[in-house]
Amino acid sequence: MRRILVGSVFMFLVAGLAAGQSPNPVVEARVVMATDAAHAGATAKAAVVAQVAPGYHINDHKPFLDYLIPSELKLEPSKQVSVVDVVYPKGQLKKFAFSDMSLSVYEGTLVVGAVLQVAKAAPPGEYTLKGKFAYQACNDHACLPPASVPLTLTVKVVGRRVPLKRQNADVFDKLDFD
Amino acid sequence: MTQEALLAKEKQVVNKKVLVGAVLAIGLVVGLYFVNRFWIAPVTARGAKVMGEHPLAPEFSLTDLSGQKLELANYKGKVILLDFWATWCGPCRIEIPGFVELQNRYRAQGLVVIGISMDDGPEPVKEFYQQYKMNYPVAVGDEKIGELYGGILGLPTSFLIGRDGRIYAKHVGASDPFVFEEEIKKLLAPPTSGEVTEFKQAGQVLPQDKIEVGDPDEINSEVPGVNLTKLSAEQKEQFKKLLGEQPCTCGCKMNLLRCRQVDRACSVSRKLAREQLEQFLKTKA
Repeated sequence: MRRILVGSVFMFLVAGLAAGQSPNPVVEARVVMATDAAHAGATAKAAVVAQVAPGYHINDHKPFLDYLIPSELKLEPSKQVSVVDVVYPKGQLKKFAFSDMSLSVYEGTLVVGAVLQVAKAAPPGEYTLKGKFAYQACNDHACLPPASVPLTLTVKVVGRRVPLKRQNADVFDKLDFD
Repeated sequence: MTQEALLAKEKQVVNKKVLVGAVLAIGLVVGLYFVNRFWIAPVTARGAKVMGEHPLAPEFSLTDLSGQKLELANYKGKVILLDFWATWCGPCRIEIPGFVELQNRYRAQGLVVIGISMDDGPEPVKEFYQQYKMNYPVAVGDEKIGELYGGILGLPTSFLIGRDGRIYAKHVGASDPFVFEEEIKKLLAPPTSGEVTEFKQAGQVLPQDKIEVGDPDEINSEVPGVNLTKLSAEQKEQFKKLLGEQPCTCGCKMNLLRCRQVDRACSVSRKLAREQLEQFLKTKA
């Protein structure tokens, strides 16, 4: 009988979550690293791959109009890993019913690059950076409130003699960090 | 009965109990789903007391941009266009000139437009209010008031509230001003009972209401409200083409010519068309 009760309570919880769940987010994002690890005192490259739901757009990091909320990658630096640079892709120029001029927006998949600096004194180990990708989405007729996708980035620091392996080339080949 | 047989029987009983438990749990889940879908969710989504066909608009009390109390209860007996918007929302911004125009046009008949901005603070809203010459009360709202109205997921979201305080229409996303105007006219119209035999002018007569009693050359013009008698037939066509290429800024999303033809009372397109005529005449002189 105890098992029956435990089972029922579990199912109740699952059903409750299902009933109260929020609609699908307009933007989904994940973080990837260009190499499997990093060396102390060197830089490492990371990228956020964000997917904007079909039919929606989010604003360019540098939108053409002052009132638009820019898309932004925010990473909190730690003692061992800091953020040196963030590289945003070029937006697509699109005309919308609500604007007389074309606007620069992101649609579909976009990749935001980040250059990280590992502290010289960072001992080998895994370091986590918390952050978020903030955006404000619209379609041609309506806008959604500003939102963000929480991100967690783990940087593995290894000894200087340990060779680094390249990874996620499909993502990083498209990024121009210069 | 051997011990093995006893154990097997006991196992069978336990299995049956688990099966009954699972069936009960699935039943509860299905029941909960339907209770939520058809009973809880619709009520929380409306966030309003449903009476008859149209729910009562939830009361709220906010402070408007000038520091005055903005309470829905103070507008009883009025037709209210309640607009949830934000300065960062392009589709919201294009609706505002149309609302300003509607407020001008129907204030005397009892229309009140109320804006609830979902911006984080009043500063950008105050700036926008001045820039767009907004002529109706605006307050900065929050998620809480949005939830009262069923959760404002997309902006703009506008509600049309009748004189009886009930919600008659909800629009999510930018809508054509004519859609609002038609609905407002219906809500402003007094309830009819029997044949109407006598008409009386209700409320103040505003300048824009006088358009049809002006200059006959303006009334009968191919561009209503604009006197084209100084133009030759060829010039009229050129001028109409020119207006057809100019967007109207009243919020109608039409060109100047179309707005003039469709909405003779629109003071924005009338002013712009007249200015265009002046320039056109100068170039032809």
